[in-house]
Amino acid sequence: MELESIKKIYAAYSNVYDALFKRFFYPRIKRAISDMDIKPGERVLDVGVGTGLSLSVFPKHCKVVGIDLSTEMLGKAKKKITAQKLDNIKVVSMDAMQVGFEDNSFDKVFLSHVVSVVPDPYRVMAEVRRVCRKGGQVVIVNHFKSGNKVIETVEKVINPVCERLGWRSDLCFNEFISNSGLMLNKKFMLNKLDFWHIVFATNQK
Amino acid sequence: MAVDKELLEILVCPKCKGTIRLTKKKDGLACEKCRLVYPIKDDIPVMLIDEAIKMPSDKENTV
Repeated sequence: MELESIKKIYAAYSNVYDALFKRFFYPRIKRAISDMDIKPGERVLDVGVGTGLSLSVFPKHCKVVGIDLSTEMLGKAKKKITAQKLDNIKVVSMDAMQVGFEDNSFDKVFLSHVVSVVPDPYRVMAEVRRVCRKGGQVVIVNHFKSGNKVIETVEKVINPVCERLGWRSDLCFNEFISNSGLMLNKKFMLNKLDFWHIVFATNQK
Repeated sequence: MAVDKELLEILVCPKCKGTIRLTKKKDGLACEKCRLVYPIKDDIPVMLIDEAIKMPSDKENTV
């Protein structure tokens, strides 16, 4: 899917995003960020921050920069930042495939429900690895193709629907990790039938 | 409200990854090398190459 189409989809989503997705996405986001063990003063990049569902979960003692392609979504995130007085969080409109940060700017990078919605996930991961310091933590919340035959059948049926919504549901985990050049630390799901994985990895350089 | 100073220190041009500077009016971030200005809208830097504004080529540092 092209960037312009993605922008249009998320501009349209921005008004209903929280209502639609908070229930589905928030529990996973909360668990992942809590497990990140963010230390005081650490700098964290939230790729695909959207309307800022994740922002209230980050500890106040770290510095967070959220990026998203959609300026409409970021407008909503900015309102949350102001309303909740989250002075440690800044947002920037950016394409995750062409990131405008210095090398090694971040200690940790969080990508929630992003990898499947970008035109080239490996270009995103190359940028993530560039801006994350050596030995830094990369945390990915995403759907990967299941090894479970029942879920695989469901995936085949819903894949065309997902593609229309801007999601890809056929990404293979092992291929993704090895092509991304990350060192896997742990991978788990909130429950056995969850559609999304929470992945913790280390940035090797 | 201006763009956060600490954020400015780590921002680079998304195209060439080179240094950027705040424009004189503080309404954008300019990359001299690419001759592009990334606008700041509602205090949010828009670091998207396709939304950047081309700098006039004959005028140095006028933006």
